[in-house]
Amino acid sequence: MATIFEQIQEMGIKQTVITKLDETVERLTVGMNINDIRSALRGDEPRRPNPRLRPHADSFWFHIRPSFYHTEVTHIYPTFRLGWLSTFMFVWETITGIILMVFYTPSPLVAYSNMWNILGNVPLGQLMRNMHRLGAEVMVLVVALHMLRTYITGSYKKPRQFTWATGVILLLFTALLSFSGYLLPWDQLSYWALTVFLSGAEAAPTPPGIDPDVFNGNVLLIAQGGPALGAGGLLRWYLLHVLLLPLLTGIFFFVHYYKVVLYGISLPPGREEIGEDTAKRVPRNERTYFTPDIATNELMWSALTTLFLVAGSLWLWDAPLETHADPVVTPLHVVAPWYLSWSQGWLKLADKTLVIGFIPLLLVAFIVMPYFEVSKSRRYADRRIALTVASLFFTFMLVSNWMGSPEFRVNSSPDREVSIELLPEEGTSAMLGVPYELMPEGTYLPAQPIDGNPHLTYALEEFQAAMYRHSCTLTGNTTWNECSYDESTPIETRKYSNHFSDDVMPDPTAKLIVEEVQPGLKKLTLQYKAFSPANPEEFLIDAEWVKYRHEDSNYETECRFANKSC
Amino acid sequence: MQVKIVIGTVAFMLTMMILGFAVLREPARLAQYTVAAKGRSIEAGAHIFENNCATCHGIDGDAKECYNSAGEQVGCQGLPLNDYDMLCGDPTYRMDTLNWAGTKEDFVKTTIAAGRFGTVMPVWSEEFGGPMRPDQIQNVADFVLNWESEELCANEPVRYSWPEAVADYLASDDGAAGDAANGAELYVTYGCSGCHGDTAVEGSNAVGPWLGDIANVGATRVDGLDAAGYVYHSILDPNAFISPDCPTGPCATPSAMPATFAARIGSNPTDMADLLAFLLGN
Repeated sequence: MATIFEQIQEMGIKQTVITKLDETVERLTVGMNINDIRSALRGDEPRRPNPRLRPHADSFWFHIRPSFYHTEVTHIYPTFRLGWLSTFMFVWETITGIILMVFYTPSPLVAYSNMWNILGNVPLGQLMRNMHRLGAEVMVLVVALHMLRTYITGSYKKPRQFTWATGVILLLFTALLSFSGYLLPWDQLSYWALTVFLSGAEAAPTPPGIDPDVFNGNVLLIAQGGPALGAGGLLRWYLLHVLLLPLLTGIFFFVHYYKVVLYGISLPPGREEIGEDTAKRVPRNERTYFTPDIATNELMWSALTTLFLVAGSLWLWDAPLETHADPVVTPLHVVAPWYLSWSQGWLKLADKTLVIGFIPLLLVAFIVMPYFEVSKSRRYADRRIALTVASLFFTFMLVSNWMGSPEFRVNSSPDREVSIELLPEEGTSAMLGVPYELMPEGTYLPAQPIDGNPHLTYALEEFQAAMYRHSCTLTGNTTWNECSYDESTPIETRKYSNHFSDDVMPDPTAKLIVEEVQPGLKKLTLQYKAFSPANPEEFLIDAEWVKYRHEDSNYETECRFANKSC
Repeated sequence: MQVKIVIGTVAFMLTMMILGFAVLREPARLAQYTVAAKGRSIEAGAHIFENNCATCHGIDGDAKECYNSAGEQVGCQGLPLNDYDMLCGDPTYRMDTLNWAGTKEDFVKTTIAAGRFGTVMPVWSEEFGGPMRPDQIQNVADFVLNWESEELCANEPVRYSWPEAVADYLASDDGAAGDAANGAELYVTYGCSGCHGDTAVEGSNAVGPWLGDIANVGATRVDGLDAAGYVYHSILDPNAFISPDCPTGPCATPSAMPATFAARIGSNPTDMADLLAFLLGN
């Protein structure tokens, strides 16, 4: 071997540099030099022996990827890229999560102010948090769709039963990962979502012969790290979120993916004989090689997904941040994250203990399903029962989600409902979103038009609409809709109902009072008065609702997003 | 495949452009969220104040319900917070009279958190056995400090102005009748004895000079000033003269004595006459 100086003497500096560079590239790619890479990118045929196959044998990063796929599975159908996308989201969450970890301390004393620090003091901190949160929700969706697709194409059948089983566990871990991250901002949203979730542990069915109070009480104690959710609980859920669950997910991911490579991706059901599995017997002319086709494809999808997530996090959606967690103030309506909404729906259908016991049973049923559903054919026409069951279950889940949605919540008193719509404890609204300077001091009535102030006019129209939904009239006042009531009920307990609610304010008056109480701080008061129809002297409702509004609090910015009506 | 490379490259470039845009608008956005955090804190503080503090300090923080028009306390015991002495200047008058050396915000936070000894102001922080979390203490402090405005701070209230010469003071109504017995008590309650020691025991002084013989020594210190003048000016401005008689030799410059006595004694100006009577009578 000539020394570098001898090479320079022999070939000149330029040629030596090129040769060395070529050698370096070949070592890094474990077998492909610059010319090989260029020819792969041009789409040329590889030279013999094929240097594009060597990395799959010799390199660490490529050795778990197959060197070629059946061309049939490289199209959008049948995989829809959902498995790959799940993996991408896991990597995405890991990277954004590690960056967020730098700015986070799992302690109730500082966790919440860490959030505002990330929003107001860390460059691109809000973007990072939005991307992590958006990624988490996309990941849950993608993993669930991946499972649905696997079921529909019958890909869980022999020999892929175990792959399916690990996949179900990965779905569970994905949901748990997403949910365990929910607590970390330590705001009202996270605190009460987790408190409600954990209250499930109290109601869980116990093994026979064990005192439920002792058993469930201890489960709860372990899960919340003390008699109530506090510093201990936050640390536990943080460690679950950043350590245990990612580790378990990683392990199960590699088992899952190993099985995918081992058995190959199943072909579209119509492509092979019934009962056969030809995914690993790929004729030479049906091969699509990893380098360059699959690699290019995956890079393109990585770029597109990144584009979607970055743009979405910047313009379409902001991760919510409510007020500081407060164990003594329960928000009026506690809502589960959308991907657990079905469980809230189920709680309206059946007893809590039954529901809590049913969920693990359902998971076990999913895991063992391929070992019992052993019909050979994967073709759609032969699987009418399986696909019917699937669509029924899917419909049931959709309905459950809908039933768990705020549409079906239990209403509070009508004046409180109106107040929450207009001046919510958390987040923004039509009234809070009115720019500070366009909310002059004064007293305003619902639907009162304010000249030259479309924001306040709109807010007062919303006031009218909210009052309309929660009130009715007995005296022919045409502003409110007419009440109906059941003649047979005694007048003291009679409820006056309208089309929307059966607990309403009859003939109410309502107003909004705006006062400036400090420089840059206004007090917004909603006042309601409704007299009893039985006794016009007696107040049925005489209530007030107060919300303060600081000129810098930024509710206008929150209003940017489509889901806020302001 | 070429199409995919193009799509991927374009998507990547778009992502980079979007990130570039995000970076450019970032300083403005950060500033917006920094003030928003403060704004939300003030809002939360307003709710807490209304429910917990307004009973004593008044909903507007002026404790109007507690005092009559002559400024005498009639009801509740809260001090006015929406007030010049509490909020204006740094340090504020209130911080000065209480010898507070830290920041204004820390003063308010500490007062809320730990309460004030000898008054009905209770302990609020759960750290010291009260009901409130640290973030709530911060919220209330932010709310209270938000009363500070140019309007509030435009006019400093009239305070007691000490006459230039001690003779003028002693000739005034406040200085005419010195009560040495009361002066002896004030010598302890103002904290003088902590540094200057017991006037009856020579050598009992820990930091400052012993004052048992100040009636004689004081007259010799400064040309043209008698003992009363020397003590009078030393209390009002500790750095006016530096005594050579501290326990460890000449006293340090600047003086270790707090500069707040002019303000503190100013709220009860006759105390000065009592102190002078006590010190010079010895």
